[in-house]
Amino acid sequence: MHYQHYRTRLIPLNNHHVTATMPTKHLSPEMLNERRRQAVRLRLDGYTVAETARHAELSAPTVSAAWKAFREGGWGAIDVKPRGRRSGQGDVLGDVERRTLCRFLADWPDDGAPGWTSRALANAIQGCSRDLASPSPRTIEHWLKAQDLKPEPLALEALAHQRSHIGRWYRQQVQPVLRQMQRTGGSAWQGGVRVAKPGAVPTASRLRYQFYLHGKRGALLTRCLPASPRADDYLMLFQRMLSQKHGAPIALVFHGAFFEASPEIRQWLVEHPAFHLINVPSH
Amino acid sequence: MTSLTHLQKLEAESIQIMREVVTETENPVMLYSVGKDSAVMLHLARKAFAPAPPPFPLLHVDTRWKFRAMYEFRDKMAKEMGMDLLVHINPEGIEKDINPFTHGSAIHTDVMKTEGLKQALDKHGFDAAFGGARRDEEKSRAKERVFSFRTAQHRWDPKNQRPELWRLYNTRKHKRESIRVFPLSNWTELDIWQYIYLQDIPIVPLYYAAERPVVERDGALIMVDDERMPLEPGEVPMMRKVRFRTLGCYPLTGAIESEADTLPAIIQEMLLTKTSERQGRVIDHDSAASMEKKKQEGYF
Repeated sequence: MHYQHYRTRLIPLNNHHVTATMPTKHLSPEMLNERRRQAVRLRLDGYTVAETARHAELSAPTVSAAWKAFREGGWGAIDVKPRGRRSGQGDVLGDVERRTLCRFLADWPDDGAPGWTSRALANAIQGCSRDLASPSPRTIEHWLKAQDLKPEPLALEALAHQRSHIGRWYRQQVQPVLRQMQRTGGSAWQGGVRVAKPGAVPTASRLRYQFYLHGKRGALLTRCLPASPRADDYLMLFQRMLSQKHGAPIALVFHGAFFEASPEIRQWLVEHPAFHLINVPSH
Repeated sequence: MTSLTHLQKLEAESIQIMREVVTETENPVMLYSVGKDSAVMLHLARKAFAPAPPPFPLLHVDTRWKFRAMYEFRDKMAKEMGMDLLVHINPEGIEKDINPFTHGSAIHTDVMKTEGLKQALDKHGFDAAFGGARRDEEKSRAKERVFSFRTAQHRWDPKNQRPELWRLYNTRKHKRESIRVFPLSNWTELDIWQYIYLQDIPIVPLYYAAERPVVERDGALIMVDDERMPLEPGEVPMMRKVRFRTLGCYPLTGAIESEADTLPAIIQEMLLTKTSERQGRVIDHDSAASMEKKKQEGYF
């Protein structure tokens, strides 16, 4: 066996010929990570990239990459990223699950909540039938996103310093109500109604019209409808929000409906002074 | 020698038509519907006779059901242009309170637009009326000549039209006959938008996409422009980002969902569209060939 003397240690070197590309696809991520760690150890011992590559049976660029990752992030950064999709990212909803999901989305949740969270939907599907695969909340969120049913909340606080009409609206109409909610222990919500526009992804149902609410930390609650919501639908949403908070004050910044044209909703708001509805102006 | 662009050619042709009408007729008028085509036509008229104002008044045949933004724009433009603006509303229509909801789109259009126009032309004795119709809007407009002759009863005979070879227009007519003149016949919707952009022509803001309260009626998005719009029990209008490709009476004009809130964005949208702007007009779907029938009876 040939030995090379370097600094204080003698390291056995095999006679493998090192090429620029060393196939590692056949290695499991665990085995590859072990070789990368070995390569870093050799580099720490003072071996050159070429020597390390030869010894660890890796290509020179891989050795350099592992060494760079170690220098930037320590031992924890050496491992390669997991291959393939992360768990729950794939569209694993089968036709039956999708239909079940749509059926739930078209109705109000049984627990009196003003909308469905992805977790509540996952639980509902799981509880529906043992024959159904139980999708994770994450899978449902990906499906909602693909169906354009996952709107982002309006960045309200960013409006505080805007000099446009919407900035004035925030300062004059929203901020005082939000402060009042903080003082009185009320809750603040954002929400709206919209029409989903699924692009290249074929829509799984006729449920294009969507109620959405964003509560604390932007958690999404939603419910979908096949047609434009009627006054009864809005009132049920508001009533469920009030019931959840046992009559405590609620501020809802709502976008997408023209309530001025609905006498039923105006009347309900007069009768429920604890419910503060603030319409987002058109923009 | 520099060659003209296609818009310059269209502009020159329209100006020639306008000058021809002023030369050959006694009492012309320009129909002003407040839309984008009217805006372009008015701009061309001002160019054709600059520095003097155009030697004819503007006539708006009002139905009382146009969008509020159109009325605001009309009054503002009339003030700025310094031109006479005649507004005619069919008094019989006012008396009977003709409206698109209780009487339907066909009767409303017939009484308030067709009859209203005929009354206004007779009342003022106009023998030529400029209109902003284009051939690409609708098939019956496609076959109509630039100089379209009408009988004393304002009827149009599509089978008896004069040839217009080499842009030579025969303007002779019998007593009490009139001519409808279409200087924008050969323009397309895209040409109109490009010209508006290049010439910076003011238009009604409804052409730009914005969030507006709309309800769905037979697949069309109808804007709730005022409290006269009857809503179904429990109906709540939604705020949707829409714009109008064509403007008429608001209960009869469908909006399209769009993000185009600037002229370049509208032009971009036009490049991709495959439908006529008249698709949004409810009156065009009253019956088969309804536009041709209406035109024969005197509709614009």
